[in-house]
This record gives sequence, C-alpha cells and structure tokens, in this order.
Amino acid sequence: MSHPSWPFLAAEEGVEVNLGDQEQEVLENLLVDLRHLLMSDSHDSLRRLKPPAHPDNEEAEAAYREMVDDDMLRARLELLDVVEAGIGGATLDEGDVAAWMQCLNMMRLILGERLELDGADLEAHELPEGPATFLYEWTGELLEFLVRAASAPSR
Amino acid sequence: MTAPLIVEDRETDSVDDLSRPWKVLVWDDPINLMSYVAFVFRKLFGFSEEKAHRLMMEVHTEGKAVVSSGPKEKAEMDVFRLHEHGLWATMEHDS
Repeated sequence: MSHPSWPFLAAEEGVEVNLGDQEQEVLENLLVDLRHLLMSDSHDSLRRLKPPAHPDNEEAEAAYREMVDDDMLRARLELLDVVEAGIGGATLDEGDVAAWMQCLNMMRLILGERLELDGADLEAHELPEGPATFLYEWTGELLEFLVRAASAPSR
Repeated sequence: MTAPLIVEDRETDSVDDLSRPWKVLVWDDPINLMSYVAFVFRKLFGFSEEKAHRLMMEVHTEGKAVVSSGPKEKAEMDVFRLHEHGLWATMEHDS
C-alpha cells in the first residue's frame, strides 16, 4: 500500500522517486555537501563512514585501509551520480535503490556525527533543535520510506 | 641438557593462522535505522526476512552479532560490503 504523496512508491518495475520541489532542492544541496566532504576525505564528520575492520590490530587495519579506501571513495562518488540523476523523478532498479539507500544513510551518519549523537540521546529522543537535526530526521524518514517501498510484496 | 620451557614455532603458528576461519561482526550504531540494517543483511547475505530481523535485533540488543564467517578473503569482502552500506563491521579469528 502506498500514498501518492509518499517520497518513494513501490512500482512493478522498481521504486518510483516522488519528491516534491522543495524536497528535491534540499536533497540536491545535501548531495553537493556530501560530494565535497567525500572528496576532502579527512573531515571529522566522516568518521562513521570509515569504521575500522581490525580495531585491535594497527598493522592489519592499515593494510585493509590501503586495500579498500580508493575503491570505496570511487564507489561512493558514483552513488551520488545515481541519486543526482533520479532526484527529479525516476524508476529505480535494484542497483539504483541500493545507491539511494547508501547515499541517504551516509547523509544520516555524517549528520549524526556532527550532532554528536549517541545511543542515550536517541533512546531519550533528546536531539538538539536546529537545521542539522531536521535534516537528520528527514533523511531518516526518506530512508525508511525507501526501505518500505523496496520491500513491498507487490515487487 | 635442559629442554627450553618455551619452544617458538613461528612457521606452525602462521600456518595455523592462515587456516583458522574468520568471523564478521556487525556492531550497534544507534544512528543506523533498524529496518535498513535488516534490509542490508537480506540483500548482502540472502538471509530470510526472519533471520535478517533476528540478527538485526541481536545487534540492537546485544550490541553486536556475527553475520558471516569463512576464509580471510571472504571475511574481508563481507566487511567491505557492509562498510559500503554504512554499517559498523569488524572481522576477527573464529576461536
């Protein structure tokens, strides 16, 4: 079941992007910020995007980072291209859906890091007021809608 | 002659190390949506909805869950794919 005003709608051939004009504009701006941050590759707010694979072994961790970092960055920049191309309306196939999900989740991880959110804040629903919190919650809603649309039984 | 108390056998240790399986753990990051984590488990590992939900709940309530295991190369690939999706994954030897 879906509603015509939802941002993502389950369709026979995939998931339809159904963002309003204002939503498109906000998401476009977030994409620009995200691209800049990813290219900088050193900003503190990226911490959650690069969790350690070997937290207790510096040597193994360095080898892992050496092996994956370039590929990871390239793949992430390609995800942004997919999302950018579909913002105005598109039918997403399975690969596009994955790109959108990863992209929205990256935005949440960065915003959450900027807001310094931890488990206790979230359990208590104590989020600071302001634009970053609004965007954090909004990208969460988008992701939730997208997961639902992509999981719809009719697909 | 007294036998040494500790015999170092680095070659054997390293062969053991290579043959020991690895396990991949996903840790709780409260920012990740529960529905998204379960969706990623289904997509990456082909888990049923029920198994993906159970493992996601284990991550949420216990703080971590083992989602895969196998040789080092497989574990590394699984960790990489989980990191690509923004999940906090680590790998360690399966004892």
